[in-house]
Amino acid sequence: MSYFRITLTRSGIGMPKRTQGVLKALGLRHRMTTVFYPVTPEVAGQIMRVKELVTVQEVDKPLTKSEVRAERRPDPGFYLESAAPRG
Amino acid sequence: MFGAFRPTNPLSGGLLWKIPWRLSKFQKARQRKRLRAVDSLVATLDKALTKQSITTKAVERWKEEMPIEQEMVPKDKYTIFDRKEKKYRKSIRKLPKWTRVSQRVNPPGY
Repeated sequence: MSYFRITLTRSGIGMPKRTQGVLKALGLRHRMTTVFYPVTPEVAGQIMRVKELVTVQEVDKPLTKSEVRAERRPDPGFYLESAAPRG
Repeated sequence: MFGAFRPTNPLSGGLLWKIPWRLSKFQKARQRKRLRAVDSLVATLDKALTKQSITTKAVERWKEEMPIEQEMVPKDKYTIFDRKEKKYRKSIRKLPKWTRVSQRVNPPGY
């Protein structure tokens, strides 16, 4: 079972109501929102409706919201060493 | 003097629109990039669907009717047919929302 990872990269503002409705149906309310859907003909048709606005990847399993957030988190540039045991 | 409705030359009547007819090389490069992005998206969809041996009308129709970016002639990438224009072509930037819509084919012979 594979999934589509869909990210909204261009805004739907000013597009026809049908196009904006497809974005809403996919759960893409803001730019850079990422959603996961199984590979089905229905989802493929929806993606084709908004193909200029989104980027799509095929992935093996969906990530949770927090995992997507963690992906976008930049490298902090430091790490905490574990505290030495105190005597 | 200032503000949205200041009396500039284009606004104070007359036909003075200083919008360049041609796209700059950077605009053309970005246009090609957008075309290729749509091509790769359709390829991704097609690959994912054929893995599960599903065919979708929308994808099949797009593949059949639309040329990919490398197949298109520059005339079709950067201009669009218009019956009212001299030589029947105008810059694609005249198309509303031109960076977010697909406009690839034009009437044959024009």
